[in-house]
Amino acid sequence: MTEVLRPATPPEGMLMLFARRFADHRLALASLVVLLGLALLATAAPMAEWALGVSANSVNLTMRFAPPSLAHPLGTDELGRDLLVRLLYGGRVSLLVGIAAALASAVIGTVIGLLAGYYGGKLDALLMRLTDGVIALPLLPLLIVLAAVDLTKIGLPAELARDADVSLYRMVTIIALVSWTTVARLVRGATLSVREREFVLAAAACGAGPLRIMTVHILPNVVSPIIVATTLSVGNVILLESVLSFLGLGIQPPIASWGNMLTGAQELIWSAPQLVFWPGALIFATVIAFNFLGDGLQDALDPRAITR
Amino acid sequence: MIRYILQRLGESAVVIALMSFVIYALIGLMPGDPIDLMINSDPRLTPADAARLRAVYGLDRPLVDRYLSWAAAAIGGDFGNSRLHVRPVLDVMPGFLLNTVKLMGLSFVLSVAIAIPAGVIAARRQNSRLDHAINLLCFAGISVPVFWLALMLIILFSVMMPILPASGIASVGGGGGLWDAARHLVLPVATLTIFSVGSYTRFVRAAMIEVLRQDYIRTARAKGAGPSRIVWVHALRNAMIPVVTVIALSFGTLFSGALITETMFAYPGMGKLIYDSIMGNDYNIALVTLLFATAVTLAANLLADLAYAWLDPRISYASGEGARP
Amino acid sequence: MTAPLLSVEGLVKHFPLRSGLFGRRTGKVHALNGIDFTVLAGRTLALVGESGCGKTTAARAVAGLIRPDAGRMLFKGGDISAASRGERKSAHREMQMVFQDPYGSLNPRLNVNAIVAEPLVIHGLGDIGARRDRVAEVLAQVGIDPRDGERYPHEFSGGQRQRIAIARALAPEPELIIADEPLSALDVSIQSQVLNLLKDIQASRALAFLFITHDLAVVDYFANDVAVMYLGHIVERAPRAALFAAPRHPYTRALLAAVPKPGGGKRRPGATPAGEVPSPIAPPAGCPFHPRCARAVAACRESMPAPTDFGAGHIVACHNPEAAP
Repeated sequence: MTEVLRPATPPEGMLMLFARRFADHRLALASLVVLLGLALLATAAPMAEWALGVSANSVNLTMRFAPPSLAHPLGTDELGRDLLVRLLYGGRVSLLVGIAAALASAVIGTVIGLLAGYYGGKLDALLMRLTDGVIALPLLPLLIVLAAVDLTKIGLPAELARDADVSLYRMVTIIALVSWTTVARLVRGATLSVREREFVLAAAACGAGPLRIMTVHILPNVVSPIIVATTLSVGNVILLESVLSFLGLGIQPPIASWGNMLTGAQELIWSAPQLVFWPGALIFATVIAFNFLGDGLQDALDPRAITR
Repeated sequence: MIRYILQRLGESAVVIALMSFVIYALIGLMPGDPIDLMINSDPRLTPADAARLRAVYGLDRPLVDRYLSWAAAAIGGDFGNSRLHVRPVLDVMPGFLLNTVKLMGLSFVLSVAIAIPAGVIAARRQNSRLDHAINLLCFAGISVPVFWLALMLIILFSVMMPILPASGIASVGGGGGLWDAARHLVLPVATLTIFSVGSYTRFVRAAMIEVLRQDYIRTARAKGAGPSRIVWVHALRNAMIPVVTVIALSFGTLFSGALITETMFAYPGMGKLIYDSIMGNDYNIALVTLLFATAVTLAANLLADLAYAWLDPRISYASGEGARP
Repeated sequence: MTAPLLSVEGLVKHFPLRSGLFGRRTGKVHALNGIDFTVLAGRTLALVGESGCGKTTAARAVAGLIRPDAGRMLFKGGDISAASRGERKSAHREMQMVFQDPYGSLNPRLNVNAIVAEPLVIHGLGDIGARRDRVAEVLAQVGIDPRDGERYPHEFSGGQRQRIAIARALAPEPELIIADEPLSALDVSIQSQVLNLLKDIQASRALAFLFITHDLAVVDYFANDVAVMYLGHIVERAPRAALFAAPRHPYTRALLAAVPKPGGGKRRPGATPAGEVPSPIAPPAGCPFHPRCARAVAACRESMPAPTDFGAGHIVACHNPEAAP
């Protein structure tokens, strides 16, 4: 029996390696902090309501366009509602919808990419044609059409169709339906290369079926580009949601989102420009933070890529 | 190569045909239909009248039938009339199209003119403070919500400092001269340019870095070529290949940005036309303009693929099972 | 004579080549052109040949990774050539494969315990506790401390990874191990360690091996029977001693002549063949070796020689075989 040889170093997971590289990217780190802060503030929205003694939807027509004061730290909007509280609640919605839609599109894209890359041949050709078709569509016009669809015409009862909560699910759904293509292409490419590696052949030689190979062997090895692409897509998704909400087609009032707080803002630019400034500035800050974060993740997970 | 082009053209035609059906169906799902609108504007119409009108216009027929008669008319060149503009669709579109071409064209040229030098400088001085600054600006450009950017620019230049008009294409009652038209273009073009210059600069920078890393650049250096010659002649030419294709592929994004910009500035272009027609239930225009936008995006993609395949001899569109002899 | 464990008859595999813009078929790689061999239970067959002769293709066809175009494979009496995945499952359990590249054949995202347990999981062998014990058992057998089972492949050296791969192959207690050049990617000093490990396993467990290699010294040390391949054909099959003592095919002689003997001394008789191995895309007509063969006669250009049995399991496919020394 040959002698037993042991590795020299103590066990070090891939996680430590990654965390170290990520911390080197200062902007990404700062963005992570900023985003965590925003998330914290957003979840604390009810506390702000309680502290200030107002509610996000309490209309007070005597206090319209009030300047910042102790009672209303950022002033009030055109209906007398407290701006700060609405911004916090809006942040909740925008962040949740953004992350949910990004995750949903990542799932769709991953499934399609895995199937196309693994099976190849006709299925691959078909799925890639589908992907190319969706990519070719002008995004915003299509989203506007999808958002404007009258849900009663496809059988949804009228009360549900106009319900503000339903508008949340609707946003997540239609944005996910058009945003999956980047992840799909990435996953397909990564799957094509991982598929040829010998450990996949070894699993097949052992008798593993396609499902096991895709989930146990291929998926964990393509997960890095998925994480990066998904993080980068959150910013884009938030922008899409805010545009749609701004146009009145997205999140419906009374639910506040940063986008729909700007609906009709063109009238306000003359009288209360601060109401125009804050929601948009927050969208800007959040999106840029997600972009930096995604960039940092990309550098940390694959330092050889130079799309920075 | 010719066969490939024909094949792709054929595929694009199929996609457009499919999309025309999908868009037709989707627009049919929009709230209200032409008869409802007629009823709204004329309360004397009874439900019996409505039913009769529906039959006359064929609105009670199944979807596929209605689509096929639209398609048949469309192939013959008849795209119907615009409800809002009370003219045939094909009369309405060209004017708007021209305006959009002006807007997108100017922004595109401006963006590229800024992006190429900025990207090259950033690539040459990688990781310097200048590079970081440029990178920061790029990120800002791609992260800013376009409609908010438009609003901020309007606030800055029309409200706080009233030096530029906030909307339209010409001043009401104004002389309508070139200077007036130019003033109206400044803010929209600025908005769209800021929107796209960020991503273009990043493309150029990334492509330049990739090219500068290549061995043949090092060889040129070793042969004694000075730094400027290397950068501007060899590297730029080669970096342009992926940049051109990526920019062509981002046509769809540029168009979406133009849509918002036009809507914000009440600029009478294709984007605003699409938006108004969808919101105003002008189905014929909505259908045709959406299809047109799809067709142009497909064409841009096709050109990008062809340019890439033609310029980079290493690309071959081969497929087949992996051969492991 | 007992039925062979594995019997391969007339196996054919041609890979299509595609290139150009539309994936036109531009030729075929004639990887396997009708090969026959058998592996008896508990015995080791070495499949020998230079690169490109098709031995890896043969191994992968047997393992079920490649579908042959023609021919039959019988494993324990059952036909596995055209079987569906479900039908093949029990065959998969009883034959395991060890690959050439220790750096590629282990999933970097799984720890060693999970890697070695995989065949057990796939075939539902034992519960979690039994599997854990079995994994520890085989790891110890191959010389890896079971306490390192939590570690990941990148923490091990090439030789250790190959041992892990061998442990994975041993875990489900197979009857046949297909080893595709398991030593070729290892450092020379490590090769002997792993080879000795394999020899121990061979001795202690009455396992059959289908051992692919190009190294005749290893064959001499390890194999019971040998089959020599050239351009997708088996040119000679014999028990090891007979092959080394009395090779009859000119190619076999040439191969043996090329083996350097440590310590100098008399080289074996036989001329090294002229020229290079032709491409398997365009193999020569008739006997594939005839362009390089010193003993070629007219028949060699015309037809592929049929296998001739010289007794005691020594089979040669040659129109003009060497005489026995």
